[in-house]
Amino acid sequence: MKELEIAKTEVVSLLNTLIKEYKVFAPVGQNGFITFQEIHSGSEAFLDYINSKKPPKEIFFPQSERLFSYDLSKGEGWSVEEPASEKKQRIIFGIRPCDARSLVLLDNVFDGQLYKDPYYSGKRKNTTIIAIGCNQPSSTCFCTSLGGGPFSQDGSDLILVDIGQKYIVQVVTEKGKKLAKKHNEFKEAEDNSLSLMRDTIETAEALIKSKIEVQKVTEKLDSMFDDPFWDLVSEKCLGCAVCTYLCPTCYCFDITDEVTGQRGERVRTWDSCAFPNFTLQASGVNPRPSSKERLRQRIMHKFNYFVANHGMAACVGCGRCIKECPVNLDIQVVLNSILNR
Amino acid sequence: MLNTSVAIRDIAKKLLDEKRVDLIIGFEKGSVPLRSTPCFVRSTSEADRLIWNVNCENNLAKYLPKTKERVAIVAKGCDVRSIIGLIKENQVTREQVFIIGIPCKGMIDRRKIEAKLDGKEIIEAEEKDDTIILTGNNLREIIKKEEFLHNSCKTCTHRNPVIYDVLIGDKVVEDQAVDEYREVKEFEAQSHDERWRSFSDEVSKCIRCYACRNACPFCYCQECFVDSSQPQWIGKTTNLSDTAIFHIVRAFHIAGRCVDCGSCDRACPMGIDLRRLTKKMEMDVKDLFHYEAGISLEDMPPLATFNPDDPQEFMMV
Amino acid sequence: MELNIMENQIQQPREKVDEWEPKIIAFLCNWCSYAGADLAGVSRLQYPPNTRIIRVPCSGRISPLLILRCLQHGADGVLVSGCHPGDCHYISGNYVARRKFAILNNFLEYLGIEKGRVQFAWISAAEGKRFAELVQKVTEDVRTLGPATRLVRKQG
Repeated sequence: MKELEIAKTEVVSLLNTLIKEYKVFAPVGQNGFITFQEIHSGSEAFLDYINSKKPPKEIFFPQSERLFSYDLSKGEGWSVEEPASEKKQRIIFGIRPCDARSLVLLDNVFDGQLYKDPYYSGKRKNTTIIAIGCNQPSSTCFCTSLGGGPFSQDGSDLILVDIGQKYIVQVVTEKGKKLAKKHNEFKEAEDNSLSLMRDTIETAEALIKSKIEVQKVTEKLDSMFDDPFWDLVSEKCLGCAVCTYLCPTCYCFDITDEVTGQRGERVRTWDSCAFPNFTLQASGVNPRPSSKERLRQRIMHKFNYFVANHGMAACVGCGRCIKECPVNLDIQVVLNSILNR
Repeated sequence: MLNTSVAIRDIAKKLLDEKRVDLIIGFEKGSVPLRSTPCFVRSTSEADRLIWNVNCENNLAKYLPKTKERVAIVAKGCDVRSIIGLIKENQVTREQVFIIGIPCKGMIDRRKIEAKLDGKEIIEAEEKDDTIILTGNNLREIIKKEEFLHNSCKTCTHRNPVIYDVLIGDKVVEDQAVDEYREVKEFEAQSHDERWRSFSDEVSKCIRCYACRNACPFCYCQECFVDSSQPQWIGKTTNLSDTAIFHIVRAFHIAGRCVDCGSCDRACPMGIDLRRLTKKMEMDVKDLFHYEAGISLEDMPPLATFNPDDPQEFMMV
Repeated sequence: MELNIMENQIQQPREKVDEWEPKIIAFLCNWCSYAGADLAGVSRLQYPPNTRIIRVPCSGRISPLLILRCLQHGADGVLVSGCHPGDCHYISGNYVARRKFAILNNFLEYLGIEKGRVQFAWISAAEGKRFAELVQKVTEDVRTLGPATRLVRKQG
């Protein structure tokens, strides 16, 4: 389908219309940073941002999710209750292309050929993704090294390109097309806007200086499991979960029972390979006893195992882990050191 | 700052040459502007990586409890206080550590700078005397260092290392006038309800990444209470009750040990005001037991000892 | 201590709000305060039945986690009691505990947990009457404060 356009002044009214029909998530400024939240008015959305602090993966795969709850207090044995599934259609508006792409990676895990996670895939199915490309990628962005880009269409249904007074709308999927047709804020794009769009995309792509040959990293890692490299690179790692919890593609979780008196719930919570408990076995043995093994796992999983399993690296180059690591353990530096090994 | 870097390198090389230590823990240039990163040097050829600037914000004492080697460590005032604590808690011996002490005028809080720039990105930051020159796309700004110090640096009362084996640079003037507990007292002046609301707002930001715990030099327990499964003290979710208890007990566990290096505060990706908790602990320990952590190698940690006349007005009569 | 035993002490079928009665957990040291409670019992002293007692070896055994977990799982108040200073069976357990309690007491109040939810006392084996009086006092204090809401773990 041909590109559409929408005036920036129309965005709020579009959002207001969408809110009536959909549950709309958009970037919202709170506590000094951006998070994706459900908005109840179009003006709440803050679209002039670099990226959110927490990745929008939590809209599909929340940090804590109740799988079911149970109650013994009614005196009739166990009564088990599943959470009501969300019926309302959802829209994520203003997600960045890297984060939209992360959903394609997560689909391999939660919505793949072999396994379908009902909690994740249910939400995924009824969500339309409207991305906004990045005119000003950050210096920590390296999406182009991972097959993405500031205007990558992977994972989006519609993608918006900011050309000043208006957004050019690229229609990526059928789902996106349907949505665009329904709302008359979307108009057919003018030709001169289209050339502006191409310039914008080109300029933005040139701004991403970092180029890592990830394919080579993957190959190198094949034979690096026992390399002393891991001792050195992990030395400063604190073993916290900033990198993994803020990662849009990390998906490891734990399942626990949280019981209060005679009522309880089974919850799924984010877990991190950086934690000692992640691999601690009941016998007391821990196959990944130190930060060396844990950091190696993080890198191996992202750039080797995941590639073997799903044909792509489990990283979209959003740079969140680089920005937030308390000791500046930069994943780009790690990847480059692997290449120089 | 350049001179300090050179002096650190010289000492590092000398110590390694003379085989007095096996390892130097210091800082090297970080991968992004306004960042330095911990650096581990084992040979003289690597020593030129070592640097010193206003971005050396990490507390390197964190790495001491793990190490078996003889270590030389680059340490600011607060780091040295942490080392004293660790020596007292038998996590490292005094003989094992060679302290390269550095008087410190405070470290820069890059988040404060970023907040001021309103989305504009820094590509390069250059330190010049009391200022930092920031450059980037549509950005050229000169900022004053002292306006962007970490909160813990602003109220620091021990900028000069308390103990050291070698001191690099001249001692700096300690700020005697600062009221380091002003914020605690202001918080105390609020009503119960306000305090609870504000505390719960803060901890509800928590994502349980444990960066605060892991950045703290005093959190070296083999098994942290939050990781224990027998018994499982608190749940794994971001339930407010669980996160609140995590933060209360974390602060409690470092009562009388915390030297207010600010590591937890700096590590938190969500910007939780963790010093609001730890500073209160520090103030109470000072008020009740007349103890200041990390000042002397001799005195007993306050919660490992007692005085028969300790205050007990809080108890029921 | 098995946490589930502690929690079973706290958890009971929910009463209706208007029938609310405070639930209080008392941690009593084995050597003095528990014996004091015993004396109150054998002396047939009357005191409110809202308190569930958990016997611990020494007040020094009380970790703030035990207290917080009570509040988290449904207790409206907590009383911690040990031997009077100087009388500790383990010589100094209560002295060390006193420092912890002082800090914790201030800290909970600082964070907005109501004063009176968590209380500390010294009760000797001979003070059956004092035990009954203090339990009365704690019960009244907690009743005035109403059901605990802060730190309570709410599901879902």
